[in-house]
Amino acid sequence: MGSIKRISKELSELTESPPDGITVELADESNLYEWKISMEGPERSPYHNGIFHVKLSLPTEYPFKPPTVSFVTKIYHPNITNDDKGSMCLGMLRADEWKPSSKIAAVLEFARQLLAEPMPDDAVEGRIAEQYKNDNGRYEEVAREWTRKYAGASQ
Amino acid sequence: MNPLSHDEMERFQKLSNTYEPDVQGPLVSNKQSSHSIALDYSNADSTLATKTNALAVTHPECRIMKGDGNCGWRAVAFGYFETLFALRDTIRIEAEIQRMKSLTALLEQVGLSDSIYEIFVDTTEDVLNQTHAAILGGAQDESFLVETFNEGYTSEAIITHFRLLTSAWLKINSSRYQAFLNMPLESYCATRIDPVKTEIDEIGLQALVDCVIDGSGFGVEILYLDRSQGDVVTPHQLSSNRPNDATIRLLYRPGHYDILYPANNHLNMAPIVNLQYEMTSDYSPWDQSALGFDVNSSLMAIPNLMQDPSFGMGAPMSPMPSVSPTPASPFRMSPQQDVYSPPMHSSPMHSSPMQTHAIPSIPISSPPAQLAPPSAAPPPMTSLPSRSSEGPQIRLNPLVMKPNLSRSLPVSPPFKK
Repeated sequence: MGSIKRISKELSELTESPPDGITVELADESNLYEWKISMEGPERSPYHNGIFHVKLSLPTEYPFKPPTVSFVTKIYHPNITNDDKGSMCLGMLRADEWKPSSKIAAVLEFARQLLAEPMPDDAVEGRIAEQYKNDNGRYEEVAREWTRKYAGASQ
Repeated sequence: MNPLSHDEMERFQKLSNTYEPDVQGPLVSNKQSSHSIALDYSNADSTLATKTNALAVTHPECRIMKGDGNCGWRAVAFGYFETLFALRDTIRIEAEIQRMKSLTALLEQVGLSDSIYEIFVDTTEDVLNQTHAAILGGAQDESFLVETFNEGYTSEAIITHFRLLTSAWLKINSSRYQAFLNMPLESYCATRIDPVKTEIDEIGLQALVDCVIDGSGFGVEILYLDRSQGDVVTPHQLSSNRPNDATIRLLYRPGHYDILYPANNHLNMAPIVNLQYEMTSDYSPWDQSALGFDVNSSLMAIPNLMQDPSFGMGAPMSPMPSVSPTPASPFRMSPQQDVYSPPMHSSPMHSSPMQTHAIPSIPISSPPAQLAPPSAAPPPMTSLPSRSSEGPQIRLNPLVMKPNLSRSLPVSPPFKK
């Protein structure tokens, strides 16, 4: 099937030349559809120095449906659900905005960029979004604290 | 103050993120009677009911596309393969495979890498090969294509291929389309062409036809079913190719596209169509806008034109004047044939080539006023002024009885909208 061909090509491109601050591997060598990502918190963000484990799952309909991205590492962020799923679903990751010509590399870069620049108007965590907008200092403080606590940041 | 609590907002956001409309039915249906469309509207607005009833006569069969946001794209794509299959010309399919491959240059030109587009191009090529094999294998009908297009992956891959081509074509030919868009072309492609399941709009459809279909030589005609005035759906040609046997016909209802199949009325119409084709030979391509006036309304403004269905039977304008209008004549089979005598010099289309058809014995250069022998005037026309001295006569297509009907039918070029 075409999707396997495409996923293998994307995987080899990503392992050969991964985007900044991102490493990619299969969660299980026999399954192309589950990826294990580790993402460095971007500089000049409260997530800096943290390493976030992210699960990327490809639907069997890939590339006609978007991958799903979830943060295994707990993170304090307006666009990532503050539950055991840690899911992120906005912009290019939404099923109705997905373009089959988008690459997984672009998805990962988008996710990392979102750590640097949250989109509070498209938030899934309303309280964090409110705090991000109205009390940014406190937001950064909590986010930094969580990063230290859950993402192994040494500070 | 927002009336919803944060929790509710979050819940709605999550619901909205995962929402998918539940649409029933196959991606592409089998051919079915267009009466089903008429039935859908039998209790609706009378304009729609009238139009759909007329449609079931002019286009007795249709094929319904699933309304999943891809229907317009899928209708064109399916129509393309189906038309290719119907022609049963393997050489043409080989040419199409080459043409489709050559179109990937557009994708390279806008910076897509082959690791992204190859699986889509491959699928189109596979289905072209499948069509080729079906013709060689003597397949009875297009059911293999219906099956193929109902496979999610294949259907989506071909549609994505066509979307990518259309998007690239728009970007490369932006000057041609930008004026019709209310946003920058780049964002139009990013929001209206590239994303999955975004319904095609008029500009996208035109670009798809220009980029992907036009090169195949197929015509594309779209019939608009809306509440606009008139008794029939309004047709519009999207392709520069003249409507012919290889024409993809789409029915558009606001927000939805299906495929239509016209009644096979070529037998009765053939001689008339040929005659009119001669008349248009001076104009290439025939384009109503080049005339500077509205052909249909001008013709329809002629008094008596509608009340006169029998006029013209065996008139001098018969394409084969030596054949007497016996009941066995094929021209008798069309009950609504009509002859129209325009005032002289009213339009450049009353040109001499058709006169030579009408009365072969008279040389082309003869003044039109002397053309029609008085003896040939049809007997039942006593209430009308003699037309014998009015100049050349034009045989109207038998279906041009109502002003709007003429636009919905595969009539010959001078009367096409």
